[in-house]
Amino acid sequence: MGSMKDQIAKTVTEATGLLHRPQRALPLIRKLASDTLRVTFEPRHLYTYATTKRSSADALNSSMRWILDAQRSDGGIAAYYSLLTGYSASYPEVTGYIVPTLYDFAHRDFAHRDLARGSHHAQDDGAVAAAERATRWLLLLQTPEGAFPGGLQGAAVQPSVFNTGQILQGLVRAHLETKRPQTLQAALASADWLIQMQHPDGSWSGSGAYQNGAHTYYSMVAWALAELSAHAELSVDQRYGLAAERNLDWVLPHFRQSGWIEGINLRGHPDYLHFIAYVLQGVLECAILRRRNDAIQTVEKSAWVLLRKFETNKYLPGAYGPDFKDGQRFTCLTGNAQISCVWLRLFEVTGDLRYLNAGLKMNEMLKQLILMRGPRGIAGGVTGSYPVWGRYQPLRYISWGCKFVADALLLEQRLTQSFEPAALETLPCAS
Amino acid sequence: MRIVVLCSSIYSETGCAVAVRMAELGHVPVGALALRTLDSPTLLRKLGQWGVSGVARYARTKFIPQPGDSGCTSHNPYLQPLLNHEAGVFRSLRQVAALYDFPITVCSDQNAPKSIACLREWSPDLIVFTGGNILRKLLLGVPRLGVLNVHLGLLPEIRGMSSPEWSLLQGVPPGITIHSMDAGIDTGPILQRCELPDWKRCESLGDLRNRLIAFGVAKLVDVVTALDRGAISAMPQYAPDSTPRTDNQFFVMHEWLQARAADRLARGRPAGVATTVNG
Repeated sequence: MGSMKDQIAKTVTEATGLLHRPQRALPLIRKLASDTLRVTFEPRHLYTYATTKRSSADALNSSMRWILDAQRSDGGIAAYYSLLTGYSASYPEVTGYIVPTLYDFAHRDFAHRDLARGSHHAQDDGAVAAAERATRWLLLLQTPEGAFPGGLQGAAVQPSVFNTGQILQGLVRAHLETKRPQTLQAALASADWLIQMQHPDGSWSGSGAYQNGAHTYYSMVAWALAELSAHAELSVDQRYGLAAERNLDWVLPHFRQSGWIEGINLRGHPDYLHFIAYVLQGVLECAILRRRNDAIQTVEKSAWVLLRKFETNKYLPGAYGPDFKDGQRFTCLTGNAQISCVWLRLFEVTGDLRYLNAGLKMNEMLKQLILMRGPRGIAGGVTGSYPVWGRYQPLRYISWGCKFVADALLLEQRLTQSFEPAALETLPCAS
Repeated sequence: MRIVVLCSSIYSETGCAVAVRMAELGHVPVGALALRTLDSPTLLRKLGQWGVSGVARYARTKFIPQPGDSGCTSHNPYLQPLLNHEAGVFRSLRQVAALYDFPITVCSDQNAPKSIACLREWSPDLIVFTGGNILRKLLLGVPRLGVLNVHLGLLPEIRGMSSPEWSLLQGVPPGITIHSMDAGIDTGPILQRCELPDWKRCESLGDLRNRLIAFGVAKLVDVVTALDRGAISAMPQYAPDSTPRTDNQFFVMHEWLQARAADRLARGRPAGVATTVNG
């Protein structure tokens, strides 16, 4: 009952947003019209794929500009820009895991140029400053137990396991970059709280978990713990790595023979691609860090099923039914970008060029949907759904969408710059 | 032997070349089933593949005689010897059909009931596929000896699309495979597979593709003749799995990787083992 009331209140607030700011009507109508046209006329054929003249570098710059613009005065990053109500309040979870993206962006390309100049210090100062502001803000939110709250800034919510894990990603990276002891202490306190909340079987459920249930997409938390344990200075303490592997061992039996993953477990929501991709990203990255080949192979099977679907249909649906059946008609762009990251990382791990090929094509599809020019909040933004009225975060440009698109484009840049195909002579030949 | 040719369009050079070569060797097709050239799905597909300027260029060269165009050249220069005739170059299957006297049916879907009925009427022993739709089981069951396809890659190593380009990047020598089609993508039994001789002399990916097509047409006719004599048998491929490590299906290649494949071709590295089955 309470949730229905919340839903009604949310809808009314969104609708009245347009009355308060009628100037938002024009971008809204423009977006609705352009998505309608695109959905009606875009050709999808087996022998083609979406292409755009926009370079990946331009699209990356636009998306990062969107993220920098979304940083609020408190230092947090807004969850979204709504076409009806404008920017939301700061969102601790997303602010946390955008920090690594900001640093990756700051250091992009420079590795190449700096090596030539013998310097390792060049970076994009705007992105670094944003990351530092975001980290300072996050440290203010930590509870004495080490946890971070769920939900938007200002909402009275419980400490959240998932959000703490996502923020831990940012803290670990911030410490790597700045070496500030305060950041490391905060990261360790978060990790200790996460271990305290973990069940012996490796799952998280109960008061710190969403809807009190155990979720396979909490593999993202395991990734954060594995990331922390990978720090040379912390490697003596095995607890974090072992906790990550405990979760991995709980998640892996949820993968079906078909590649489908059980246990996403979101009551009242379909299995959005975003959450399916979370499971895959979390398991894959954790497996890479912990050198778990069994887990990499398990992820590969699901990723391959999705790759075949993408290659045939040219996009991945926004939500699936069990065994990847009954894909819904809208697209969750965030999920598509995350899957691109999974494929690109699998290319890195396995050397299978088909993952790189699919990642490049997915990135083309994403780039063509990013508006390069336009008002603040829209230019460079990534909508929750395509078309924009789809079920996942309708009529919103979401910050985590931008984050994952930027991650996918950064990965693309890194992998294509260092690409060197294996020599013909050494590759397996026809027999 | 009663043979039917399937083509992507009546203007398909490959379709024309196959029909001509078959007829020259005494296997005049009993019919040809071609996709409609200007229906909207095809036009959209071509727009997607080639862009507006590519489609305009294609239409101009196909339908409008160019100044100084004697009608004596084909788009694929390696098919030219097959397409030459007294009055110039065969530009459409209609010209071939008129010369060798066989019927053509134009359809918008080769799997449609009308198309199947037409094929059944021709009662073919063999269908030769040179382009068109992904064929469904109903159509595949029509001819006694099955449907033959020339795949521009060595099977089972390289299945699916952009095969010449994938061959280059995967370290598999470029070549062709003639196989009997089944419900999978390039999974049917193999009749012949051959590495393209001198592929390292190809000047570009387009040149490689053109040579492979002409090479495939020549080999296809050899296979049909051998089939007619009962001198060739098909070898089944292993059943493809749905895991990436055992599934050799490839998909349309992104242009960035195509450029890497072109680099690889330009470098002309020697390939590994030359392979021939039934060749």
